[in-house]
Amino acid sequence: MENIEMNFAEKFELYGCFQCGKCTGGCPVSLKSKLNIRRLMMEGILGRISEKISEREELWDCTTCKTCTLRCPRGLKPMDLIIGMRGNLVEEGHIPKTIIDALESVYKQGNPWGKQRNKRTEWLKTLSEEVSIKDYSKGDRAEYLYFVGCTPSFDPRIQEVAKALVSVMKKAEVDFGILGNEEQCCGNEIRRMGEAGLFEELVDGNMQCFESHQIERIIAMCPHGFNALKNEYPQGKFEVSHTTQVLAKSLEEGKLSLRKEIKKVVTYHDPCFLGKQNQVFDEPRMLLSAIPGLTFKELDRSRERSLCCEGGGGRMWVESSSESGQRLAEIRIQDAVELGAEIIATSCPFCVLTLEDAVKTSGNEEKIIVKDVMELLADSME
Amino acid sequence: MNLIVCIKRVPETADADVSIDKSGKDIDKSGLAFDLNEWDSYAIEEAIRLKEKMGGTVTVLSIGGEDSNESLRKCLAMGADEAMRLTDPAFDGSDGLARAKILAEAIRKIPYDLILTGTQAEDDGYGQVGAALAELLGIPHATLITRLEVQEKKVKVHRELEGGLEEVCEMDLPAVLTIQTGINEPRYVSIMGIRKVAKKEIKTLNASDLSLKAEEVGFAGSDIRLEKVYLPPTGEGAEILEGKPEEIAVKVFEILKDKGGLA
Repeated sequence: MENIEMNFAEKFELYGCFQCGKCTGGCPVSLKSKLNIRRLMMEGILGRISEKISEREELWDCTTCKTCTLRCPRGLKPMDLIIGMRGNLVEEGHIPKTIIDALESVYKQGNPWGKQRNKRTEWLKTLSEEVSIKDYSKGDRAEYLYFVGCTPSFDPRIQEVAKALVSVMKKAEVDFGILGNEEQCCGNEIRRMGEAGLFEELVDGNMQCFESHQIERIIAMCPHGFNALKNEYPQGKFEVSHTTQVLAKSLEEGKLSLRKEIKKVVTYHDPCFLGKQNQVFDEPRMLLSAIPGLTFKELDRSRERSLCCEGGGGRMWVESSSESGQRLAEIRIQDAVELGAEIIATSCPFCVLTLEDAVKTSGNEEKIIVKDVMELLADSME
Repeated sequence: MNLIVCIKRVPETADADVSIDKSGKDIDKSGLAFDLNEWDSYAIEEAIRLKEKMGGTVTVLSIGGEDSNESLRKCLAMGADEAMRLTDPAFDGSDGLARAKILAEAIRKIPYDLILTGTQAEDDGYGQVGAALAELLGIPHATLITRLEVQEKKVKVHRELEGGLEEVCEMDLPAVLTIQTGINEPRYVSIMGIRKVAKKEIKTLNASDLSLKAEEVGFAGSDIRLEKVYLPPTGEGAEILEGKPEEIAVKVFEILKDKGGLA
């Protein structure tokens, strides 16, 4: 046991912590959950962190939004401590059943949604017949690989976003191809659920696949995949862009003809993995502002201060342990409604899903709708 | 307490498009994911919990080709001590009884107090091996176990019966119990856990090691002969709704309203 404690303190540089509390102060779930990252840092220093580790169900409340790490004045990584603790639970095998299902599904089927590996491209069948999509697995080559991601491939709501994206990229003459059924999970959420071994396997498998198709440039629609591919895969092998970055460039080059007016008040929710973790703030706003007729309004908590939707870090597969407290996505919707927004736009599959659920659970269906930036672009290009 | 668990590696068909292969006697398994039979995952978990509580060893057995090593390794990673694979071309086509004969011969060579199997396998769903195995070994058995307590030389078990009934019995050890799903929560097996047991030896035994004659096992030693596998004929009266989920929901609502289902 002593070794584990020493490992935690040393591995996560806990001795550097001077308990200023900025981590917990910025933590979006600390208001409603028992999770207190400042206390965990202290317990780590005192060597008490593995006490009752399997009873700390609040460890699964963390959304890995990374606010704690970004705010730490000592440059420490409190979020990584939580992921490390989850790792211990994963190795012991005692983790929530819904997390087990997601991890096993990734291992067996290459996606966390319990879907068949060979049905990954089914969503393409609903595209109109004149749209042909290049497929590396069928020998096609393109300038960019569009890494579709698991949620856009399998979730019926997000398939609509993927279809909008494909039509926008086609019209903007972006030359792209997909990996077809060779694509598999990027591993971003897997790593954050503490399954480091499975993450390594996914990286190895995906790198081999990218290399076999000589991929040099990747476009990711999901900020979680974007983050993993950009920051956590072997560096220098390929360039990674988020869809909003690629299309903002198309806009500057005059290749995006946004003609149809969208006369709505629109606000934008910054996804944690795109905004605060990867500093992509301006491109989505540029794209929205270029839509004729659209009135853009900024939320108070925006950009670096954006409120997390609670969809990250494995939270798509496990409910919060907290029985009290509003869902953060509901607070977000309430803020947007009070701002007078008719549409809350975002650019992350998880954010679309959590916000759309929150619109329903907070009874705001008549007042506001959730759209991905790509869907608004597609509407304006029609 | 020496425990033996019999497991099987099976294809997962729950969400897959299943078709019949050329032989007409099996499904086409290409493209399907395989895993430890769900019932067996509860059996191995139960055995490991007993070992953790009472000490002893867990030996895991499986009949099958090298592919089955994957499932045996999963059990080793969960905490089993030894794994054995029973493999021989002569075993192909064995029914439940013939499989029980193979397992029984292997088990006779090992000391044991309790044998656990899953109640049934996800692929053929016969549910015969556990009971047949007990009969061949001449020891008592109980099926559909949802709870068990080992006391000295006895085991007290809860059986799940039809109509929500539960039967509680006490029996002498050694015995065979076939484990029902839900008895516990099987632990997660991490990739690092599997890597740790990657080099652990999995013993193999063939028909001659088990002193089994070809006519006792496989097709020759089986009473059940599979004639044909076919898809159920399409019936009448079913309506498949198509469209987006919200459109389907509206259609379902309309149908229920029309037919008086929403009084």
